[in-house]
Amino acid sequence: MRNLSSLKKEFLRKWIKGLRKYNSQKKNMNLLERKKAIKLSADLAMASTKDKTTLWRKALFANTSTKIDDEQDMSTTSSTPQKKVIRKNSTNSYPLRKRITGRRKILRRNHTKERVEASFIAMRLVKKRTRKLKSLLPGGKFMDDSCLVDETLDYIESLKAQVEVMRCLVTSSELFINQP
Amino acid sequence: MEQQPTGTIHALDSVQFNEEIQGIMIPAPAPENASSFTALLELPPTQAVELLHLPDCDGTDSGRLSCCHVSVNQKPYLQNSSNGNLTFPTNAALIERAAKFSVFAGENTSPGEVRLFPAVSGLNLESVKNEPQETDSNPCSTQECVSDPAVENKNQRNVKRKEREKKAKPSSKKSKSVADETSGDGEKLPYVHVRVRRGQATDSHSLAERARREKINARMKLLQELVPGCDKISGTALVLDEIINHVQTLQRQVEILSMKLAAVNPRIDFNLDRLLASDGSSLMDSNLPSMVTPLMWPEIPLNINRPHYQQQWQLDAFHQPLWGREEDNHHFMTPENSLLSYDSPANSASLHSNQLKMEL
Repeated sequence: MRNLSSLKKEFLRKWIKGLRKYNSQKKNMNLLERKKAIKLSADLAMASTKDKTTLWRKALFANTSTKIDDEQDMSTTSSTPQKKVIRKNSTNSYPLRKRITGRRKILRRNHTKERVEASFIAMRLVKKRTRKLKSLLPGGKFMDDSCLVDETLDYIESLKAQVEVMRCLVTSSELFINQP
Repeated sequence: MEQQPTGTIHALDSVQFNEEIQGIMIPAPAPENASSFTALLELPPTQAVELLHLPDCDGTDSGRLSCCHVSVNQKPYLQNSSNGNLTFPTNAALIERAAKFSVFAGENTSPGEVRLFPAVSGLNLESVKNEPQETDSNPCSTQECVSDPAVENKNQRNVKRKEREKKAKPSSKKSKSVADETSGDGEKLPYVHVRVRRGQATDSHSLAERARREKINARMKLLQELVPGCDKISGTALVLDEIINHVQTLQRQVEILSMKLAAVNPRIDFNLDRLLASDGSSLMDSNLPSMVTPLMWPEIPLNINRPHYQQQWQLDAFHQPLWGREEDNHHFMTPENSLLSYDSPANSASLHSNQLKMEL
């Protein structure tokens, strides 16, 4: 089993780094913006841990880069170091995305025959669920079954670490507020 | 005059015939004429029974002759029939052979017996048909007959055993011989030398698919262990349901916690350098309180000391005194502030550190 505490430490370090960098640009943020910033930096930190080139990590980077681009377009601030960080980290692009989704739609239109045997019903149930899982995972659309299971393993572990670290922070800050 | 001696001769002959036949009858009935036996079989049962009782009755010479002739052929087969019932002729040897075959059948399971008996009966018919042709001594003929059906039976039994075993234990693994690799999907040979389950296909495609499926199943087991509450669930769909649920809850928790953090901390700032500088196992424990508490400091001294430098102060002020870092000149910092900032939370920091250590 992997070392959860080391994962947490690494995540925390990177998260704080990201938070600081992000906040150095924007001074006044409302709640939602702050929340977005926190979440973003947390996701990025999580994605950059362990130096593993898993699909979901790459997908996270790609997604966040697009998000930041959008935000940049909306706001008028100058270039962000965050964006540079993201660009440094992202390695793959996804040119196949549109092609694959297009093909899937066509396939579904032609697939009309359905069978009633138990094995087929079971297969359909499992397929439904794998589709849902793929939608949950970042970058899940491009994974096959075996890859999917590996990626979910990794993702669940990192999510657990992230949740635990954040919870610690929240409780400690709450304690501080309530204390005096 | 001529008739009489012939009649007497015939009578004598018939008597002799009867005696001879009775002597032959007991060890093993061997018909002298093949045609007679088949003729017996073709006869309807009623006529056969009548023929049975014919030798007893008296009749003309020709009748006697015919009776004897018939009786010669029939008596050995009708020995056991005592009543006038319409019972089929029973054969002692046949019964013995049937008993022998049933011994073979007794080794196997019940479906085997069911299958064997029709084979046995067929064999018996065949062997009985073969008997009339043989004119050798009785023991030889019986031995040969026994051996032939025995051999045939063994072959049939092997075939049937294979069929039975196919149905019995499908999960037992067998090895596969090299010669059998070329066999098709439906071939179920008894000796298989590779890790192929009995009754499953042996194509390279299906082998690869099976390997892939096993790999996926192994990973699913790992996932089951990771997700709490999945151990007792059986079935891929339900396990996947649980996994999806778990991932969704974790993602929602991240959202909620980030919202909470945003609400709790008006300024997102942390003391990082201390963290980054030192690498230790107790890093988390010692630094979290020091990291968190400075967040709240700006709120308190802000109002008191330098209100017009609020914003910059919040973000950058605490970096300098803590780490000795020289940032921009416009960052306003006084030692007063630093002293004030460190005094107030000094007491509370210890409390927080204890709590955080417990949590982590």
